[in-house]
Amino acid sequence: MDEKELIQRSQSGDGEAFGVLVERYKGKVFSLAYGFSRDRTAADDLAQEVFIKAFYSLPRFKAESGFGTWLYRIAVNHAKDFLRKNRRRQKDVSIQDVGEPALAAPNASPEENRIEEGRRNVVREALARLPEKYRVILTLRDIDGLSYEDISGILKLSPGTVDSRLHRARRKLRETLAGRLGRQGGDDGL
Amino acid sequence: MDCKKAEWLLLQSLDERPGPEEAALLNGHLEGCPSCRRKAEEYRTIARLVRPQTVPEPLPYFRERFLARLRENEKSSPALAWVKWAHGAVALSLAAFLFFGAGILLFQPQEPRELSRTERFVLQDENPLGEAGNILDQKKAEDRNMMLIFASVGDPEVSRRYRP
Repeated sequence: MDEKELIQRSQSGDGEAFGVLVERYKGKVFSLAYGFSRDRTAADDLAQEVFIKAFYSLPRFKAESGFGTWLYRIAVNHAKDFLRKNRRRQKDVSIQDVGEPALAAPNASPEENRIEEGRRNVVREALARLPEKYRVILTLRDIDGLSYEDISGILKLSPGTVDSRLHRARRKLRETLAGRLGRQGGDDGL
Repeated sequence: MDCKKAEWLLLQSLDERPGPEEAALLNGHLEGCPSCRRKAEEYRTIARLVRPQTVPEPLPYFRERFLARLRENEKSSPALAWVKWAHGAVALSLAAFLFFGAGILLFQPQEPRELSRTERFVLQDENPLGEAGNILDQKKAEDRNMMLIFASVGDPEVSRRYRP
């Protein structure tokens, strides 16, 4: 069954048809949610909520953009709500508590892996402290790896604005980390 | 090329956007500018560290859990419908209350207005001199005085006045 037909059936309330769409898009939506939350359980919950929201918003879907872009837009807006709600909690979290443990490099020593993980946490923490619009665009581009065109469609921004905002976001992140970037060695030195 | 232009190209290069000519220009600048070289290294390090090494899969039975959640929502939808209905009913009742209230205020029956002395004289054929004549007709000065006192009190109810 093609996507258009699945959407039409879902729009008339067919949950099973929408279930097929869920199966197709769950990876992308989960990945996006994970990019924002960096927590598997929270990302899973966020993704579930995004699909529920999408199902009930589907009658208003006019196919002006692709279904994936529309779904991503819902996911980004939901993730923004999540970030706002969790802002206070995130500020209280220790740098060492942030995120899932990364895979260890095959030839690295345990000490090297520990330092690398510490560096990743420092960068994540700095990213979490950026203004929302910078955090969102950096997450979409550098974490989720979306194309400029996709980001432009999801955030409803012109490609030029995506370009300039992304540059400002990266510059801001580097400035935020400047003190630590300059430090050599140590747990937090990059 | 100045450092500002070099930084812009550097940021573009993170997404492999500059063409070969611009990339060559950037590399030329970086070779001769230690400050921009350090900046380039920092940008690349951050780009590497910010990217998750792995993205885990969603928790098992994602679709099944979603469908169960959807069914649960559908089950609770009659309650939601009732709440919607209740909201509508409350709004309608309020509108009706305001409508009837306004109607009562606008169309309430007027209480009969008290007539002025002239109106009473004209419309009810009341002679204002009738009472004065009655007082002056009294033969006893005491009665006349008492009647004058009571009349001057101004009680409109004549029956409550002094009568000899």
